[in-house]
Order: sequence, then structure tokens, then C-alpha cells
Amino acid sequence: MASLFKVAGFGDPAKLSVYRDKRFRGNQEEYERALQASTTVYIGNMSFYTTEEQVYELFSRAGEIKKIIMGLDKNTKTPCGFCFVLYYSREDTEDAVKYISGTMLDDRPIRVDFDWGFEEGRQWGRGRSGGQVRDEYRTDYDPDILLLVQRELEAQRELVDYGEGALGAFQPPTQYGKHGVYGDSHRHGRDYRKRYREDEQSASEMSRRTSSYESRRNSEHDLRPEKNPRFRESGDSDDEDEDDRKRCR
Amino acid sequence: MSDLLNAHLTSPFVAQFIGELLPALETPSRSPQRSSPVPSVSVLHSLGSLLCAPNRSPPSSPLRSLGSMSSWRTLLLRVGDKCPEYGGAVDHKEHIETCYGVLWREFEHSKDEISECAEQLPHKIPFYGVLVGLINLEDEDFGKNIVDDLHCKLQEALSSENCDKIRILLRFLTVLMCSKVILPSSVIEVFETLLSSAATIIDEDAGNPSWQPCADFYITCILSCLPWGGTELIEQVPDEFDRVIVGIQSYLSIRKHSQDTSFIVFEADEDKSAKEKDFVEDLWDHIQILSTNGWKVDSVPRPHLSFEEQLVSGKSYNLSPISCPKQSASSSRSTISRERENYEAKLKYPQRLCRLHIFPSNKIEKMQPIDRFIVEEYLLDVLLFFNGCRKECASYMASLPVPFRYEYLMAETIFSQIMFLPQPPFKPIYYALVIIDLCKALPGAFPAVVAGAVRSLFNRIGDLDMECRTRLILWFSHHLSNFQYFWPWEEWAHVKDLPRWAPQRVFVQEVLEREVRLSYWDKIKQSIENAPELEELLPPKSVSNFRYNSEEDHGYTLSKEFREMVRGRKTAREITSWVEETIIQIHSSKFAIEVVIQTLLDIGSKSFTHLITVLERYGQVIAKLCTDQNMQVLLIDEVSSYWKNNTQMTAIAIDRMMGYRIISNLAIVSWVFSLSNIEQFHVSDRPWEILRNAINKTYNRIADLRKEIQTLKKSVLLAEDVAVKALKEFEAAETRLEVVDGQPVQAEKPGRLKRLKGYAEKAKDDEIAVREALEAKDALLARALEENKSLFVSLYKSFANVLTERLPPVSADGAFPKLRDEEDIDSMAIDLEEPSTMEMDHDNGRKDDRNSEKVTHRYSIKEQDQWCLCTLGYVKAFSRQYATEIWPHLETLEAVFGRDIHPLFRKAVFAGLCRSTTEM
Repeated sequence: MASLFKVAGFGDPAKLSVYRDKRFRGNQEEYERALQASTTVYIGNMSFYTTEEQVYELFSRAGEIKKIIMGLDKNTKTPCGFCFVLYYSREDTEDAVKYISGTMLDDRPIRVDFDWGFEEGRQWGRGRSGGQVRDEYRTDYDPDILLLVQRELEAQRELVDYGEGALGAFQPPTQYGKHGVYGDSHRHGRDYRKRYREDEQSASEMSRRTSSYESRRNSEHDLRPEKNPRFRESGDSDDEDEDDRKRCR
Repeated sequence: MSDLLNAHLTSPFVAQFIGELLPALETPSRSPQRSSPVPSVSVLHSLGSLLCAPNRSPPSSPLRSLGSMSSWRTLLLRVGDKCPEYGGAVDHKEHIETCYGVLWREFEHSKDEISECAEQLPHKIPFYGVLVGLINLEDEDFGKNIVDDLHCKLQEALSSENCDKIRILLRFLTVLMCSKVILPSSVIEVFETLLSSAATIIDEDAGNPSWQPCADFYITCILSCLPWGGTELIEQVPDEFDRVIVGIQSYLSIRKHSQDTSFIVFEADEDKSAKEKDFVEDLWDHIQILSTNGWKVDSVPRPHLSFEEQLVSGKSYNLSPISCPKQSASSSRSTISRERENYEAKLKYPQRLCRLHIFPSNKIEKMQPIDRFIVEEYLLDVLLFFNGCRKECASYMASLPVPFRYEYLMAETIFSQIMFLPQPPFKPIYYALVIIDLCKALPGAFPAVVAGAVRSLFNRIGDLDMECRTRLILWFSHHLSNFQYFWPWEEWAHVKDLPRWAPQRVFVQEVLEREVRLSYWDKIKQSIENAPELEELLPPKSVSNFRYNSEEDHGYTLSKEFREMVRGRKTAREITSWVEETIIQIHSSKFAIEVVIQTLLDIGSKSFTHLITVLERYGQVIAKLCTDQNMQVLLIDEVSSYWKNNTQMTAIAIDRMMGYRIISNLAIVSWVFSLSNIEQFHVSDRPWEILRNAINKTYNRIADLRKEIQTLKKSVLLAEDVAVKALKEFEAAETRLEVVDGQPVQAEKPGRLKRLKGYAEKAKDDEIAVREALEAKDALLARALEENKSLFVSLYKSFANVLTERLPPVSADGAFPKLRDEEDIDSMAIDLEEPSTMEMDHDNGRKDDRNSEKVTHRYSIKEQDQWCLCTLGYVKAFSRQYATEIWPHLETLEAVFGRDIHPLFRKAVFAGLCRSTTEM
């Protein structure tokens, strides 16, 4: 329908998400289709201390939740300010985007976007220091951000460590599981990125996996470090990022 | 809802364009005395940037995307709004002239857009009506096209029973009559069609009175049009108009007073509803008053009056006749099936608004009752059409084109939607968002109004429907989480002196519980530092309650060994045999459950994901242990014990276990109705949350299956089609002959024939595959429905058992026992008339004392009675929420309800299902 509202920018699929995840294999059209059918949302600008249970309490108000995948700093294996929530139904997914984006969680305004679907590896922060890219480039002062403040109460909170304890020793099965949401005891260099989706080896073959990590690491070593324009706010300026933006338009 | 809004619902950037245009929005035609609630430019601007911050493209000036000049589309959208496109002008005439000035050149393209604007910005319909009228002067075909188009849409909306569309199109119709595009006789004709259809429906012989909700809806539609065109109709077609009015009058004298105790938010109003006027009667009263006032309405702009001289020369058109769908006639069927039909009619033609009288009459804005009705309509329409467009929603809500203030009315209307029964049009979290946005858009006025509403609802909490209480708790905790958890808790500190089961105390405790879940314990403790008394209502600081902490604990060693096996990545099968050999054979199955659950939960205790990972990996170990319901109940007991300090994790763990089908919904029901939980019914939401989840999950499974079956049915049709076509093509090719040497031979090349045959066979195979998939899903659905039936049988049996034991007996004269103190209700009503505590000085200890004294004194319901009220409230709430699923099994359930069942239990069930209780 040639709609007035459409002309006015309503329902323009190009605006489904300004952010174009470069890990998505496929063209723009496929990307948009993925977003339109997706039952996954990406949540950004979270406090590092926010737990999955807090996310669960808020996001279950939009519908029944299937899974939560916390974004982790790949070095410390602790949350680094983003996560994915998977719903069962598309309608609930849309409602989460419509009703929760821009509201507060743990005293921070979070953003909620459609996501093309979680897959293994995406839980790791893509910044060079291991965390979210946005935090590395952040120029504005954010009183809440972990490294900048020691709020009295915050200081008493504990970051959930996903890398230690009983679970660290075993990997969750299948799904996003072969390589574990929880990471493992390996500490990786800063250019290290996980990309094992075609890796079919079984979860129990720990030793082979380790060597496989290493080889991949080497082969990808000279690739350009990934950045994530999703976390950009207008006004920040960074040459590298400008470049990035051009590439994803 | 509407296609064009649907299209953008998927986008978080909806309306970004309109959004860019909106920041300067202010209220048009606002009377000078109104000041504070006007969203200032800067407020809306900051609201806008707040909402859009993450998505904002490089700072841009409004209209950038449109080029240098405001396009006719923009002007059309913005007409009547105070906005930069119109240079901030507020004069309606000027707006219309400006808009018309650009529009008339484009009128060939603008027909659809004008109609769309009218349908989606219904509070501005008068402006669009005039614009159509003016263009009609230039081009008569334009008017005719609009009218024909309207006819099509109206007919289609009537046939598809699309209430919102019918209502709005009728308003547009009326307004087009005012602008001389449609003949008044046509409007009368439409009214008469609706009227006669309504009259037929409620006729015992010719119609089907079960469908009265539909008839009522038609009448409401006619009445709702009158504020927009009553004056014109009475001037131009007085006799015909009178006939319509007389018709409505006689309809009202025949129809039954509708009294849905099911959908009443305050229980104490139940008895009143029989005496009070219902929605239709009420609206009729307002319209009668309006007619004696010379049809003067403040809330309806009448821009056509400024253009009357021009418009009068326009050509008016007839609207072709419309027809209303025939509702199936009632045959001599059972009471149950008639009541069920009535219930379905109520869902299809719901009453749009159940007014919630939250504020005392001296608080709420003074306005004519009809103005109240119209503002409510405006607000509900904005909520409907701007769902998903935060900025637009908030700014339109805050700046309706009416010359009076309406914050209190706005709050009442939004709260009435949160509490709307059985289900609000949108998820409650939508209204939470709207309230948050309005508090930011109108910082000087709205937060105080919201706080007043909360106080008022808190005062009557014991009287509030149980479902609404839950919604209120969820909303309030969420709302506070968006405002730094600030609330003057000291006002409510007195609840800690109330008995544990006092509804106000339970409310505060549950709000705190939800706040802690959204935040963390220390933060919430700090937020109540002005009311340290309330600390004892905080949930326990959530630590797990692991059973085996020291070597002396029986099971410590086994648990440790188990943990080592998990760490050593033993498979579920290995662990199962270990459990069998090392625990069950030596100790007992019960002990095995204890060790296994305690240890696995402890391993998975770090987070939601840790928990589901454990369950995915070792769920089979648990499932093997707990094959029957009794064992599953023990298992749930163990979960509840491990997470006794954390209700959320208890609920999540149980929910996930049901998800992995480790435990059945029946086991959950059975556990919820175990003694230790029954004792919690009136003091905590904990058992109810778990029960709600279990029923909800069962329902969601059914809903998902239904959706899948819908899709598969379409695929079957499609596949059938393809198969038939492919076969035909093959057959046609096969039979095509040509004569060679006097002999008929196959004309097609064998290669092509073979290929076509292959296609046909494959298409047939595909069709069969889809059909099989459909059959499989159908079978699954049948099983799920069977499960659902047993669930409700079990649920009602459990309710019946516990209630029969505890409800006070029916007195000898057959009167129902009174659980609620009548005086109690009266005193609450009186309290409402008192000035709200909102205006009190909160630092004044004396007033607080007085408050607490008053409340303690007032709360006099005994524990057992409160338990009964609460449990009955949940019986009603569950019955109502799942009524559509319960109705088909009603005959089976009748056996559970039986004749000798306690009348109060029966009453609660009947009320929930919208069944009439007259036969009792």
C-alpha cells in the first residue's frame, strides 16, 4: 500500500536496524528477512552487574523467554554490558523491542533491537580489550560505567563469573553449546576471536579443541579487528569507526 | 490492527520521521488558563532525544528527509497540531487553508492518504472531513471516490466484525455529512440499518439475544457519532433523526441490562452493578443531556463551520446501502451453549472501556459527561494507533485538541486499561511505558496524578480483583524501577503492624519482592530507608539453601561425589546408573531425589543459563528418578527448599523443568495445593506465581500448536493446488496426440513427458508430506487439549477441596456467608472522599500516626476469611483468564462443581466464566 505513513518513514525495512552485523553471512535483503522473522533481541547498554535474573524479570513481561545469553568479556569471562534474549514467539519479540527499548534496567537506559539470531561466538565482546567495543571508544563520561565509578552499592555487588566453578568444567550441550557459553580456562590474546560455527568436533574432545583454537587463532591473526558500530552514539567520532559505518551502509 | 501501522510494528524506528516532526508539538486550541500540563517544547524535545538516542542518525533538522519544503503529506499529517509546519499557528481555519493550499494540486494522489489519516488519527477526523469537502468543490469525482471507498471499507469492517474500524468509519461518515460530501439522509439510512439489525438480534424469535453485545455495539456506534453531527442532523433531517432516537429508545427498553460481574475490577462493586446503569444506558443518558444542551460539546472541533459558505455549494453523495452480518439464530439449545455463545459475543464485541473511578469526584477534572466519553475515546484511539510509537503516543496523549485539562481522566483511562478484564488490548507493559513517557513529558503534572492513583488503589487494594492486584504489583514495581525506586514508603510504613494476610501488607511485600528482582536487595533496602519498619517485608537476601555444607550432613559425601562426576563430564546415563547403585539401592528414591536435585541446582545456581545448562545435560537423570507424579511433587519440594530464599529462582526452576517435561503440570498443581503452600495462599504470591506459570505454559503450548496448524493448513491448500496443476499439465501432455502416418501417436517428446510426470509425482509427494505434518500436529493438539482438560479438572478439584474445608457454612435460610465486612466497604468508600494523602505533609508524624491508626482499626477481616476471599479471587481470575479453554469442557467440569458444592465457590467460577448466576 502506498501509504502516507510509509512515505513518512513508517515500516521501512531498511530501518529495521541501523546496525548491520558484519558476522551475518548473506546480503542486505536476507539480513532484513532474518530480522523480520527473528525471535531474538539484542540488549545493549546494560550495567556489567546486571544479572540474567534481572533481565528475565523485566523481559518476561513481554512474553515467555526461551534463553538468555549474556555477553561476556572474553578475557575475564564476566558480563560486559550486552546480552541476547530468545523468545518463543515473534509477537513477544516485537513487544520487547517496542516496550522495553529506552527504558531503565538497573538504573541504565537499555536499548533493545531485533537481532538476526544468536549463534555460538556472538556472546563474546568484540572489543580489543575483551569487552564491548562501545566501552573502548566511549568518550562521554558515564557515571555508571564499571571502570569509572565506585558507587558504594555497586561495589558490594558481585559480577557473575561465567568462567569459574563447577560449570566451567563442562560445556553445555548442543545448540549454542559445543563450545560453551561459559568459556573455559583459556585466556586469549586480544585479537582472538571465536568463529567455530563449522567446527563439528565433539564437545568432549578438549585437547583437540585447544589446538584447533590455536590454529584458527593464527590463521585469523592478521584480519582486521572487528568493531561494532551498533554501539555508536552519534556524536562520537573515530576515524576507524567512520570507516566502519561506510562499509555497513 | 491496521495494515499500515502493522507494517512498522516490526521496527523500533517506527515513526522516526514523524518523530522528528513532533518535538515542537503543543496543544492546539488550548484555553489560555491552561498552563502546566502543556508539554513544553524543550520537554518534548528532550523526551524525543531520550527515546531516540540510540537510533539517532546524525543530528538532523526536521523535514530533512522531505526536502526543503514541508510536503503536502506532512501538512496533512500535522493538520490541527501546533507544530512548526504550520508556523506554530493554532487557528484551525488557517491550518485547513494552508493544508488545502498544497493539497488541491495533489488531490488525485491524496485520496488514500486522507482516508488513512482519518482512520488512524480519528481525533482529527473533523479536519480531514473539511479537507475532503473543499477538494470536492474542485473535483466532484474526488468526493464520490471518497464516499464509495468509505462504503467499501465500512461494509468490509461490518462483515469482518472489526469494531474499531466500524466505529471510526461511522465517525468519518458523520463528519463528511457536516462537510456536505454525504447526504444527511444517507447517514440516517446507515443508522437505521444498524438499529434494525440491533433490534432483530435481541428479538427472541427473529434473532438471537445471546448476541446482545453486538446489538449494543451498533447502538453505541450510533450514539457515539452524535457529538460530531447531531446538530447538523437535527437541522437538516429533523423527522428522520427523531425516528432514529425513538428507535434507540425502544431498543433500550427491550434489551437486557448487562451486568458482567466477571469484568468488574472492584469486587465491592459487584452488587452495585445490578442497580447502576451499564455502559450503553450511561452513554444514552449523556446523549440526552447533550441534546437538551443544544449539542454543544467542548471536545469536538467543528472546523467546517468556518467554511460553511463554501462547502454548502458542494455536491453531496448517497452512500450505497450497507448490511450487517446476520448472527446465527438461536435454536432450542441448552443453557450452556447459549451462555457460551453470549460469552463469545462479548469477546467479539467487547465493551471498550470499563471506567475505573480511582479519584474522588472533587479531584477529577470538571467536564460534561459526554466530554469525558469523547476524551476517553481519543485517548484509547491514540493508545491503539500509536502502539509502538513512543514519542507520538506520549505527545498525542498529552496534547489532545480539547480546551480543558484532563490529566486525572488520562490516568484513570490508562489504569482502566492496565486493569481491563479479561485481557487489556495490549500487554500491561505497554501501558507502563506510556505512563513512564507521560511522566517525562508532563513532569509538572503527571507524576503527582499517578502517585495519587497509586494511593487510591492502595487504599482499596483489598477490594481489587486478584488478577488486577497482580497487574498492579507488576506495573508499580516496573514503574518505580524507571524512577530510581523513589517512593514515599514512610506513608505505608504502618502496614507492618497489620496482620500478615492484610492485603495492603501483602501488596507492599510483593512490590518489594518484584523490585528486588528488577534490581538487587541492597539497593531496594536503601530505597526504603525512610521507612525502616518495612525492612521486615523485604524478601530474604537471596542465597541458596544448599543442604550439604559440612561433612556431618547426611548426603554430603554422595553430593560431593556426584559433583565430581559432573565435573568429570560423566554422561547422564553413567550418572543414572551411579544413582541407582549408590543411592537408591542403599538408601531410598526419596533420598536420591534430595541428593540429585540439591547438587544439580547448586551447580546451576549461578544464573538462569547455568540452570538450564544443567537441566539440558542432566535432566534425564532427574526424569528417570521421577517418573510418577508423587516423585515429581517431592522433586518440586526439593527445588522449593533449595531456593526457599529466592522465589524467582524457584519459579524459574519449576517452569524450566516443566519445559523439559521433567515434571508435569498436574504435579505442579498437586504441589501448589500441598498444605505448606495452601497456608501461603493469602500471604504470598509465591504459590500463585508457580501455578500461573504452569497454566500459562500449558496454554502457550496449545496456542503455538494452533498457530502451526493454521500455517500448515494454508500450506496444504497450496500444495494441493500445485499437485493438481502439475498433474493436469502431465495429463494434458500425455493425451496430446498427433497423427503420423494415419496413426495417432503421442505428440510430446518422451523426455518432456517423463519430466512432467516427475513433477506431478513430486508435487503429490509434497502434498502428502504436508498433510502428514498437519495430521501429526492435529494429533499433538488433540493430546494437548486432553492434557489441558485434565489440568483444569485437577485444578478445580483442588480448589473445591481446599475451599470446602475452609469456607464458612451456608446459613439455614440459604443466605451466603459474608466474608467481607459490609461496614468495611462503606468506610473505604468514605475514605475516598477524604482529601488524598497526596496533599499531606509527609514529614508530619502526626498524620502518619493517624493514618496507621485508621488503617489498623479498619482492617478487621479474620485470617480464615481473608484466605477464602483470596482463594476465591484466584478461582475467578483463573476461570476468567482461561474461559475460552474451559468452556468446551464445561460439561465435564460441571461434575466437579456439582450441586452440593459451596455456593461461593460456584459463584466465583460462574463469575469468571461470565455465566449468569441467576439459576443459583
